[in-house]
Amino acid sequence: MSIMAYNGGCVVAMKGKECVAIATDLRFGLQAQTIDTNFEKVFPVNKHMYLGLAGLQTDIITVYKRLMFRKNLYEIRENRVMQPERFAAMLSSFLYEHRFGPYFIEPVIAGLDPKTFKPFICNMDLIGCANMPDDFVVAGTCEEQLFGMCETLWRENMEPDDLFETISQAMLNAFDRDAISGWGAKVYIIEKDKVTIRKLKTRMD
Amino acid sequence: MASERYSFSLTTFSPSGKLVQIEYALAAVSAGASTVGIKSANGIVFATENKQKSLLYDENSMHKIENITDNIGMVYSGMGPDYRLLVRQARKIAQNYYMIYNESIPTSQLVQRIAGVMQEYTQSGGVRPFGVSLLICGMEPCPTSNKMIPLLFQCDPSGAYFAWKATAMGKNSVNGKTFLEKRYSDDLELDDAAHIAILTLKESFEGQMNETNIEVGICDANGFRRLDPATVKDYLANIP
Amino acid sequence: MNSVLAPEIEQHGFNFSNCRRNEKLIHDGFKPPKATKTGTTIVGIIYKHGVILGADTRATSGNIVSDKNCEKIHFLAKNMYCCGAGTAADTEMTTKMIASQLELHRLNTNRVVPVPCASTLLKQYLFRYQGHVSAALVLGGVDNQGPHIYCIYPHGSTDKLPYATMGSGSLAAMSVFESRWKPDMEEEEGKKLVRDAIAAGIFNDLGSGSNVDLCIIRKDSTQYLRNYELANEKGVRNLDYTYKRGTTGVLSVKKIAFDVVEESTSGIEKMDTN
Repeated sequence: MSIMAYNGGCVVAMKGKECVAIATDLRFGLQAQTIDTNFEKVFPVNKHMYLGLAGLQTDIITVYKRLMFRKNLYEIRENRVMQPERFAAMLSSFLYEHRFGPYFIEPVIAGLDPKTFKPFICNMDLIGCANMPDDFVVAGTCEEQLFGMCETLWRENMEPDDLFETISQAMLNAFDRDAISGWGAKVYIIEKDKVTIRKLKTRMD
Repeated sequence: MASERYSFSLTTFSPSGKLVQIEYALAAVSAGASTVGIKSANGIVFATENKQKSLLYDENSMHKIENITDNIGMVYSGMGPDYRLLVRQARKIAQNYYMIYNESIPTSQLVQRIAGVMQEYTQSGGVRPFGVSLLICGMEPCPTSNKMIPLLFQCDPSGAYFAWKATAMGKNSVNGKTFLEKRYSDDLELDDAAHIAILTLKESFEGQMNETNIEVGICDANGFRRLDPATVKDYLANIP
Repeated sequence: MNSVLAPEIEQHGFNFSNCRRNEKLIHDGFKPPKATKTGTTIVGIIYKHGVILGADTRATSGNIVSDKNCEKIHFLAKNMYCCGAGTAADTEMTTKMIASQLELHRLNTNRVVPVPCASTLLKQYLFRYQGHVSAALVLGGVDNQGPHIYCIYPHGSTDKLPYATMGSGSLAAMSVFESRWKPDMEEEEGKKLVRDAIAAGIFNDLGSGSNVDLCIIRKDSTQYLRNYELANEKGVRNLDYTYKRGTTGVLSVKKIAFDVVEESTSGIEKMDTN
């Protein structure tokens, strides 16, 4: 078994019309044994940016904390809000630093530019190779199912409410076919003037 | 002199609270060639003396105005060799920043970090302060709007740094600043600024000024560049 | 700035702090995860006025296509670009680092950096890591000596050739070059040849796919033709799979509202420099 699948879990992010969405499941397990059903893998970075981390839970927490240290230092030193592009570049160089002893995580970033509110999504492999497509990004143990769901459900220029339905249904149906993801889900819709966080009703098996 | 008792080590304060080595470094700057920097509404101008001691020097071999990135320029008054070390450091700092954030370093950040390097040399053992004052300029997006705004900084041997609208350093800097105070206004255009910068140099220039014994650098929305002698000659032609 | 007095947190070089832990996990039977690879067809040719580089745009992790339109032609300097195959992060970061070194070299020497200089920096770097930095590169550029194409292998060896191919689709691409390349080709003919070589990779090699990227470097200009040809366009969806609003069961909603203090137009305002 791959170490990336030790704890299970998945993250997905999508672009909409002047908005972005990021969603995660809530399971924390040790292989097939479920420990917790309220473990969040999506973290706030700043007002308009969220970071999702799939993979080994211990590394998820370590990487998140180390990144926030660097990001906070940047924002204090330069007296400005970090743009998603800058955050992605910083994360990428951080992960590549550990090229020969990587953290077992796959990050997903979703956010709006602090000035222009342009949607931004990005994912990376565990050593920081960034991928910034126009549609959606996925990570986690049900990556393959998520690819399939997103590829059929995603459309251009979705309104926030449609984006919510699309990302929720893509994730729900993907992780229902994955034994080590699921057990609750949380969806973040990030818009210019608000972030809406919804907890979803899911199968609990 | 009493203060000489405290000048054996630069990291020792004199009883009056001075670090005399830093003051001596500033003296080295004041003895250096004149440099002028002026910020205008749409860019920044540097002008500096680059006089050769002998006719036998090849005047095209050395430059005082240098690019740090495509958008940031630097010039100095004081000791040339010290300056070149700082130029190399500045370029490395700029590249390093770019490698991490995938964005050119903001001018203020570069100045802060260069000032950090200079400060370090006033507090470390076995070293001396830099014998240079730097002028650093660049254009960058305004934090609140997307307009490009010009920035001009001076960086001293102590590691102190200041933002200027216009300033003069080196020999006759006091006269130069007085001259600039009279001539400066907030709505200067870049060409006017270049004109005033050369005039300020000319105030205290000994001998005939020509395109080979001064250098001019310009920073605008297209980036920073040192002007070639032919362009400098054109500017000089407009000066009485 | 990495001194005792003014330390910066940004440490340089690789960090090996996780290596022992990761080694133990592998020893305990957990498989190490796979990084994104670029199966890749990358090529470069010399033509009459310079060089033309070409690449496909597929990135894979295992059998999954992880990026359908990735960029494999990397910027090194104004007169030099470099195609990368192998581990995607390695090619990306290696070329970025060398680009930075070349820029420093250009500023410090005040001249156009020669292409062999980039080739030497790359091969020395790759040799130092004994193939563990798995980047296979096709470097192309024009300097004062004329056009150059180099193949650089992950272990640090190089070839200097008039036409070169690399990556898993290199055999398909080379078959096109071997039959049709000739010295002093015109630009249009050269573009067609490179396009055909990449297309051979896209359609015959499973590791390569999607679109054709080209980069033309001439004596005094460079043209990056991103997505020169969309070789595989996505079909139009005939049915609508939209979920109706309200389909998903929601347990709780939390809203964080902001006051939008300012809104500025995108793009940087061009300054009036007259």
